[in-house]
Amino acid sequence: MPDNPFQDPLRFERRVPECVIVIFGANGDLTKRKLMPALYRLAYDRRLAAGFAVVGISRTPLTDDAFREKMLEAVKEFSEDTKLDEDVWRAFAAGLFYVAGDLADDALYQRLAQKMGEIESSRHTGGNALFYLSIQPSQYAAAALGLGKAGLNQGKGWRRLIVEKPFGHNLASARELADRLHEVFQESEIYRIDHYLGKETVQNILAFRFGNGIFEPLWNRRYVNHVQITAAESIGVEGRGAYYQEVGALADMIQNHLLQVMATIAMEPSASFRADAVRDERSKLLRSIKPMSDDQIRCNTVAGQYGPARIGGTDVPGFRQEPGVKADAQTDTYAAVTFFVENWRWAGIPFYVRTGKRLPKRVTEIAIQFNQAPLAIFGDNGGDDHAPNLLIVRIQPDEGISLKFLSKRPGAGMHLRPVSMDFNYGSSFGERSPSAYETLLLDAIIGDATLYTRQDMVEASWVAIEPIQRVWRSTKWEFPNYPAGSWGPAAADEMLARRGHAWRKP
Amino acid sequence: MSAVLSPDRILKELTELWVSMGREGHDESGAGVLRACSMTLVVLTEEADDIQRLGETLAALMPEHPARAIIIRLHPEGGRDLSGRVYAQCWMPFGQRRQICCEQIEITASDAALSDLPAVVLPLAAADLPTVLWCRAPRVLAMSEFRAIASMAGKVVLDSSALPDAKAALKRLSDAAGRGVLLGDLAWTRLTRWREMLSQVFENRERLAQLPAIGRVRVTFSGSYETAAWYVAAWLADTLQSAGVKASVAASAGEGPLRIELEGSGLRVALERQDGRLVVTVNEISQCTSLPPPSEYLVMREELGIVRTDPVFERTLASAARLAYATD
Repeated sequence: MPDNPFQDPLRFERRVPECVIVIFGANGDLTKRKLMPALYRLAYDRRLAAGFAVVGISRTPLTDDAFREKMLEAVKEFSEDTKLDEDVWRAFAAGLFYVAGDLADDALYQRLAQKMGEIESSRHTGGNALFYLSIQPSQYAAAALGLGKAGLNQGKGWRRLIVEKPFGHNLASARELADRLHEVFQESEIYRIDHYLGKETVQNILAFRFGNGIFEPLWNRRYVNHVQITAAESIGVEGRGAYYQEVGALADMIQNHLLQVMATIAMEPSASFRADAVRDERSKLLRSIKPMSDDQIRCNTVAGQYGPARIGGTDVPGFRQEPGVKADAQTDTYAAVTFFVENWRWAGIPFYVRTGKRLPKRVTEIAIQFNQAPLAIFGDNGGDDHAPNLLIVRIQPDEGISLKFLSKRPGAGMHLRPVSMDFNYGSSFGERSPSAYETLLLDAIIGDATLYTRQDMVEASWVAIEPIQRVWRSTKWEFPNYPAGSWGPAAADEMLARRGHAWRKP
Repeated sequence: MSAVLSPDRILKELTELWVSMGREGHDESGAGVLRACSMTLVVLTEEADDIQRLGETLAALMPEHPARAIIIRLHPEGGRDLSGRVYAQCWMPFGQRRQICCEQIEITASDAALSDLPAVVLPLAAADLPTVLWCRAPRVLAMSEFRAIASMAGKVVLDSSALPDAKAALKRLSDAAGRGVLLGDLAWTRLTRWREMLSQVFENRERLAQLPAIGRVRVTFSGSYETAAWYVAAWLADTLQSAGVKASVAASAGEGPLRIELEGSGLRVALERQDGRLVVTVNEISQCTSLPPPSEYLVMREELGIVRTDPVFERTLASAARLAYATD
């Protein structure tokens, strides 16, 4: 097949093939809050092919029109910065279809096959299909096997499968899930979504590191003192207590999102920006995380759980007082881990990673602290004169990058003071940043898996996390150990203080 | 009598401006301001032009394309006068304090002083960075001094839709491109989203396989869209050359400002703007997407992002000029 002669890569955005997206769990929260608003926005922004279609799948019987009506309400309610344009919606909604059924019922997949066949001939989707599993993880295998049995894992065009985290709850279950999915789809067809990697700033880490010549020479143990990765949430479990008490912060955040962020910050330059080249380097980094003995785990990790507090004049319940949570729950709502990476670039440099619920503010950032100047030639005047250089990559909110360095304070004498050079995504570029789901859905349609997690990365993360889980589960914690609204347990501060470091207060 | 404008004096004023801004920034927030510059943007504009609107466009461009802006305001009357002033445009990425600023130099010149401009502007260009000339004064294009002014820049951006005779404009631009001038035409830039949507139709393999069957391309236009119509017709004819497609361009009072139709056996593709939307129809399927008329900021932003040869535009410009005259 010849190439599209109308392409103008200098001016056009990425090429988007036609396809049908089949969403399992079409009546669920994720579809309403994230997927449909993202797809509508892509249509609004001319990013989808003309014959693009969506098939929603759920148990509730609905007509196509009733499904369209529901999705319209979802787009109206959850599109944060996109005005509903009725004409754009009408054209978009003409491509929305619905199939009701039980995931365990073979007849569902037969009906889906029939519907996809009709769509392929009426909307010319070229046989391309993207299956999105927005369902309980326990149902992933059933859905994939159902698709395989009905022959829907193959067609005239490409077939891809998106799965949401968690990818197993430990190494064995992650491998088992992968084995089941691999019975139907090849690894290259499986897109494990991690919405953190879809954020502009996380992608910008790659541009920042490998698009500029000035930072990479400093990006190693010789110049970097330590790295802090913080993902703080000010909210509690928000009605998800029953689910959350089975998971905990370590598995919910660090095993996937934060280790992926750490891998992006610390990976070696890839040979190209092709998906597998980038993912190979991320995977290598994750595999280089130093395994810890039980004693090292006790020294280098801190679990926490928030207790009740009064914040802003309101009484806030502790985790154990949340609905659906056991009164003696041992769940970690806070986790802090000191990782070490065993490679030539990073040997001996601590990567402090922390996450927690009910912390003082919602913020996700990476702080790279550089070594101090080797000699204090300006004398020691105390105060800020010795503040180290800091590079801060803010992922949310206010995505951006700041560099702190010392400058001479005006006036007589040689007094230094830290100043900040800031780059902010929102105000530095006039246009809106796409949401993570817009980015990731479009990537999957295009077939760019760079920002998706590969099975070897999932396994490498579990290899690093599973021993910590094991030690934590065998420990009887004195929870709660931090009040809601604080920066976590004192033990987390002590963990850094042992190496002469302190957590930033973002 | 002629007023003297010294580049050295302007550069000195610029230095003083930065010193005073640094002092103010320090007083306001305890921090200085950052000077940002990625190019020199020379804007040639009429004195009667809406300077406030131009200022807003430049302000919108600055965060992404921070530039030393040299705004030359022309007035047709008067002696050989040049005068100038310097100021800065700042934006506040964080909170309410000025942090990043770009410098602007405004020069007022009479037509009679046009030939003096290069000697003033050249020393003011930021070192080691590209210079782009944005010509917003169409009448200047016909003046003999324009060549000398254009030669200062690595790229010249103009809007052929503002010129009175579309065919003559295409011819003039094509001749300039032939002389090696790197050009950007905002009439072409405004077509990017249209072309992208059309291209998107042929990302579909079935549609792509039908391309050789296309036998007719028809572009209709109204109002100031004539050069755009020639451009898009030439682009389509070039792209479908192997299928031997002939493109026709016609003025139409009844339809929207621009309509593109491709027809062949079993395939009909039409693109048309309806209010702020672009409607793409492929046989029986219509796709409607948001496409408000692109602002000056958006088209300039695209052009400033391409300070290098644009082979598709250059080829299309040459073809458009040929096509427009062949139709006479």
